[in-house]
Amino acid sequence: MTGAPAYEALGQALDAQKERLLPCVHCGFCLPACPTYNRLGNEADSPRGRLHLMQAVVEGRLDPSSEAFRTHIDRCLGCRACEPVCPSGVEYGTLLELARETATKAVPQGLPTRFLLKVLGTRALRSPFFFIGRLLRGTGLAALGATVLPSYGPFRAIRLVLAMLASTTRWQPMASEEATSGNTDSGSHDVSRRSRVAVLLGCVQEGLFARINSATVRVLEANGYEVVLVEGQDCCGALHAHGGDLESARMLARSNIRAFKASGADLIAVNAAGCGAAMKDYGILLEGDPDFVQRAEEVALAVRDVSEILASSGPRIGASIPCKIAYDHPCHLLHAQGVEHAPITVLEAVPDAEVHIVAGAEECCGGAGIYGITHPELGGLIGGDKVSAVRACLADVVATPNPGCMMQIGAGLRLEASNEGVIHPVELLDESYRRAGFYRAGGAE
Amino acid sequence: MASLLTGKVSSGMTQPLPSSVASDLAEIVGHEHVITDPDRLLVYESDGLTAYRRSPRAVVLPSSTEEISAVVGLLHSNGIEVIPRGAGTGLSGGALATPEGVIVGTARMNRILKIDVENRIAIAQPGVINARLTEATNPYGLYYAPDPSSQSTCTLGGNVAENSGGPHCLKYGVTARYVTGLTVVLAGGRIVELGGVGRDPYTTLDLVGLFVGSEGCFGIATEIELRLLPITEGVRTLLGIFESVESAGRAVTKIIASGLMPAAVEIVDGPTIEAVEASVFAAGYPLEAGAALVIEFDGTEAGLDLDADRAEQCCLEEGAIEVQRATDPEHRMKLWRARKKAFGAMGRIAPDLLVQDATVPRTKLPEVLAGIDNIGNRYGLKIANVFHAGDGNLHPNILFDRQNQNELELVERASKEIMQLCVDAGGTITGEHGVGVDKREYMTLVHGPAELEAMAAAKRVFDPASLFNPGKVLPAVEVKEANESRSN
Amino acid sequence: MRVDLTDSLSRLLPGEAFGHSVPSSLWAVLRTGVETVVAPGSTEEVATLLKWASEMGVRVVPIGTGAHMCPRYPRDPFIVLTTSRLKEIQHYEPADLTMTASAGASIRDLSTETAIYGQWLPFDPPDVPNRTLGGLVATGLSGPLWAGYGQLRNHVLGATIVCGDGRALRLGGKVVKNVAGFDILKLMVGSRGELAVITSVTVRLFPLPVVDQLLVLEATDVSELVSTARAVATAPIMPASIILSGTSDGGRLLVRLHGAKVSVEADQKSLEKHTGVSFEVRNTPEAESLLVHKRDSRINAELAVRVWALPSRIGVLLDVLKKVPGVSLNADVYGGSVRAYLPVNLSDIESSLAGLQKDIEELGGTIRALRIPAEVNASSYFAKPLVDEGELAAGLKRAFDPHAVLWGIE
Repeated sequence: MTGAPAYEALGQALDAQKERLLPCVHCGFCLPACPTYNRLGNEADSPRGRLHLMQAVVEGRLDPSSEAFRTHIDRCLGCRACEPVCPSGVEYGTLLELARETATKAVPQGLPTRFLLKVLGTRALRSPFFFIGRLLRGTGLAALGATVLPSYGPFRAIRLVLAMLASTTRWQPMASEEATSGNTDSGSHDVSRRSRVAVLLGCVQEGLFARINSATVRVLEANGYEVVLVEGQDCCGALHAHGGDLESARMLARSNIRAFKASGADLIAVNAAGCGAAMKDYGILLEGDPDFVQRAEEVALAVRDVSEILASSGPRIGASIPCKIAYDHPCHLLHAQGVEHAPITVLEAVPDAEVHIVAGAEECCGGAGIYGITHPELGGLIGGDKVSAVRACLADVVATPNPGCMMQIGAGLRLEASNEGVIHPVELLDESYRRAGFYRAGGAE
Repeated sequence: MASLLTGKVSSGMTQPLPSSVASDLAEIVGHEHVITDPDRLLVYESDGLTAYRRSPRAVVLPSSTEEISAVVGLLHSNGIEVIPRGAGTGLSGGALATPEGVIVGTARMNRILKIDVENRIAIAQPGVINARLTEATNPYGLYYAPDPSSQSTCTLGGNVAENSGGPHCLKYGVTARYVTGLTVVLAGGRIVELGGVGRDPYTTLDLVGLFVGSEGCFGIATEIELRLLPITEGVRTLLGIFESVESAGRAVTKIIASGLMPAAVEIVDGPTIEAVEASVFAAGYPLEAGAALVIEFDGTEAGLDLDADRAEQCCLEEGAIEVQRATDPEHRMKLWRARKKAFGAMGRIAPDLLVQDATVPRTKLPEVLAGIDNIGNRYGLKIANVFHAGDGNLHPNILFDRQNQNELELVERASKEIMQLCVDAGGTITGEHGVGVDKREYMTLVHGPAELEAMAAAKRVFDPASLFNPGKVLPAVEVKEANESRSN
Repeated sequence: MRVDLTDSLSRLLPGEAFGHSVPSSLWAVLRTGVETVVAPGSTEEVATLLKWASEMGVRVVPIGTGAHMCPRYPRDPFIVLTTSRLKEIQHYEPADLTMTASAGASIRDLSTETAIYGQWLPFDPPDVPNRTLGGLVATGLSGPLWAGYGQLRNHVLGATIVCGDGRALRLGGKVVKNVAGFDILKLMVGSRGELAVITSVTVRLFPLPVVDQLLVLEATDVSELVSTARAVATAPIMPASIILSGTSDGGRLLVRLHGAKVSVEADQKSLEKHTGVSFEVRNTPEAESLLVHKRDSRINAELAVRVWALPSRIGVLLDVLKKVPGVSLNADVYGGSVRAYLPVNLSDIESSLAGLQKDIEELGGTIRALRIPAEVNASSYFAKPLVDEGELAAGLKRAFDPHAVLWGIE
């Protein structure tokens, strides 16, 4: 079973990662942290089991093109909830990407995945793709489809996609138009520590959530940061890396490293947890590239989730927005970046916004890219548990700082005809600042 | 993990399961809960002790007592051995498959069936994670006392099989103290109820007590009735820093002999401190310390400061460099987390690790620790000690690199010497990890042929054809000899 | 006992093993007159005796003092094996809180020794000072103190036993944590000499409490105290023991608190807050006598039963039991058991017991005769094991006592 070309590839990829694989002492502490193991009970669907399969491939005991390897590596959500509980510090996320690459080289990914990765990673394809998406959303067709389409057979996936699309709509109680923008009033807020901050615009975020990017810029400015525009930036490559397409991920990373280095920004603010996690790992992604590794590490060190930047200076308090918020941790913020409190600090800067942490907030929502489409049953199970936990909060709105999670939870709520809106914490703060009049002073943009 | 110790890894081919048996199993538990693909079975080839590897013929994951009974009945009627498995965190190879065996896993039996607040008992399925029971009973002011270091992942069924301990069993006792009743599936799939808190325990023999700690060799516990305790009012956690592990050991003896009853007394030695501090669970232990002593008192708030003061005095009298007191719950959790995750954190300082487990009379701790140090030096091996000092329950962890063939042999010899040292000091070969496959050969250090035969006879009462977890606990050779000598 | 059998035994054992006497009450329990009493002086002599008995087909009744036995019917011929010559403390390491002593050592003597080092055995079944260590282990009784200290079975670390066929085994060890092999030691605790004769025992000791405080609450009827007693049993603190006693003269709730002075005082306050009552504190010797284990008068009553149910059912058990005229009750509120000492002049014992049995079983409890007048068939009033348990127990009996030499599991 060994000696296949795929195994050769692994020899280079996973085998080079022995240092990362060996620390696993098989203690099993990761098992209960894993959403797939918790639901299936099969150890091949646990982090320890997957690491064991990777090890077996490295040892030449398992063919990476085997159904077992591909299925169980593919079935991982990539939520990395296993990392913080691992006493040996196994870098599971990195290993998973390498394993995915190995498995993908042996047997390519399914068509939907390949299509999506291609589109997201290519600027020229991205804009028409998201234009159609916005059209479906704007005309109400997405919402309609999600309501009327049946939930079986091929419709199931289409229905889910439309529901996800519809859920990217702005939460109604927020201002219906872009904030009456202008140069923001830094007011009496301390501006002495003004740093230059670049903002990653991203692919999905720019395509469907441009309002969050604008809000990010305004909120940072209102807190005294100088926001610099970065030309030539691209998709961060996170989804490609998660999907095992490390080559594309590296290409995208190189573009971003060039662009952000050129901008001269002190910090790079990222408002999508998945992108932030990926960019913080650029150094690891490009560790085999001597020309780039140094710069990659420098860029990685400058990356912050936008909430980290805001929380570090204690965000400026805005105007009251009385509402009840259910906060859910994106895995790639909590587990991959270890950021737990900062987004909550951001929400708490809005007077009268009451924040409740969703029960089981540390567990994945099942979004995980297009997991709900590629793994409808398991994804549905995991997503269903999250939606129930969210609904149990009896909140007005769900806040979670990652587009994938916003869409997954939003779609789940929509399909259950539940009324909670979905927002990024920065959106709420932005609205609060608008109401406070922070954006009124000053000239036009 | 590659073969750790020569000759321990099975090379024999595992026989595939007859397809009729596989389809009958699928009939009982559902197709997706029967694993027969050899590639997938690889993940079940080891438990927490990776020195041993052997894939089972199949893995079955039932979800109820009735399903377990039907599965065991089917397998046993085909003469197929059953190896019970919980979370696979055991450290003695107790869940290692046999070449003919099928693993019956309890991962899907993870429901708490009943919490009886009035009588302070809970009934749980075997796949419930230890810590989850405490989480579930906390709202009622109750908790489940046994707290093995793996409590965040190990299952109650596994705890019953191993009679697991934990840091707090110094004051509160091991699993057996808390198991009041069991529903078990025995040979042939027979469902039997044992004990129960409302029944007169003196109507028959202590079958529950015998079943607890039987390492899956008697049957599978499918419902477990457990006693809960009220959450104590207050806690004080002390951290004593010592220059050497011997002086920390002397402090332990002094504390216990002074009439204090700590909830837990744990020692973390220098090499372990190094590993933990390098991990994500760094607790701020000084890196230059020879040993850290974690002492905890719990109970009525009013008496705790006095107890803590006296323990601190004992530490200082034995030469503690400093004694810290955890002032808030967060600090306390951090101190404990470092202790409990120490085993996993060893992966940071060496590629491989052999976790040992032995108990010695507490007063012998300083001399035994010095002896272990001596053995380590003689073999040129790094040995990290992290253990339940109050119970005299040692965990010498031998660090090594399996790539180094020469070192493997040294590890094995050192390990044996440590066992002998502990037995000579009046101790035993395992305090809480069980015998499994790993310690079978050491059983003769503490038991004679007659004792081993008596254990074998007890097993035969429950499992006459030896179809539950064969090849564990008892050394095959000695039992055979005992049989011969008996028939003479 | 036939003379030739005794002769053949006397050639195997030294003269000191013979000529011992036992309390006359034993013969009432055994429903027979004087038989041969043998007192082996060592584990080896016990083994010799049991091997001989196996060959001869003689039944052996092992006893400690013989004063605390439940009624039985050994078939003839039989001999009584007393551990009265096995008395020495073999090993006592106060710093380890462990002690190994021979089975015949009395708890009173052992306690005297351990008290020197501020230690004790925290078990208090009735008349505990007069019991032997082996007898305590064989009966497996912990007494109400198990609320605070756990059961005896959890504190027996090791034992030397001689199986029915004369095989001597050393079980367990001297350390508090030991999982080296199947726990057949635990099987011996509470086995009532049915599997093997226990010749020595290693136990875990505890530091004596600095303060042993007895809280008392009295009422004209024991039932009035039940809700308070249950409140104590479900309070956030764990007392050392919780006892309810009652007679026709009134009822008493006895709560023992152990610990340092400040913590015992705090515990009392917290219990009073939790239950809403004020307890009377009695630490005088007079108060101590209230604890049943200190007394031996009533436990020698000719008719006694033990009733067992879920602890939350203790109130209904007492309601049923107190209807018996002249009954004296003693309940372990934490454990859920009640001992009822019944007057011997009870007009119709058999129908009274049968009625009680019916009522108790309807409440989901079990009843067991502890002591019963000779003319009553006691075996009807033994709580029965479940069928499966009984089969497993019978299998273990065959494994340890293949020739059924030791009286026991029928």
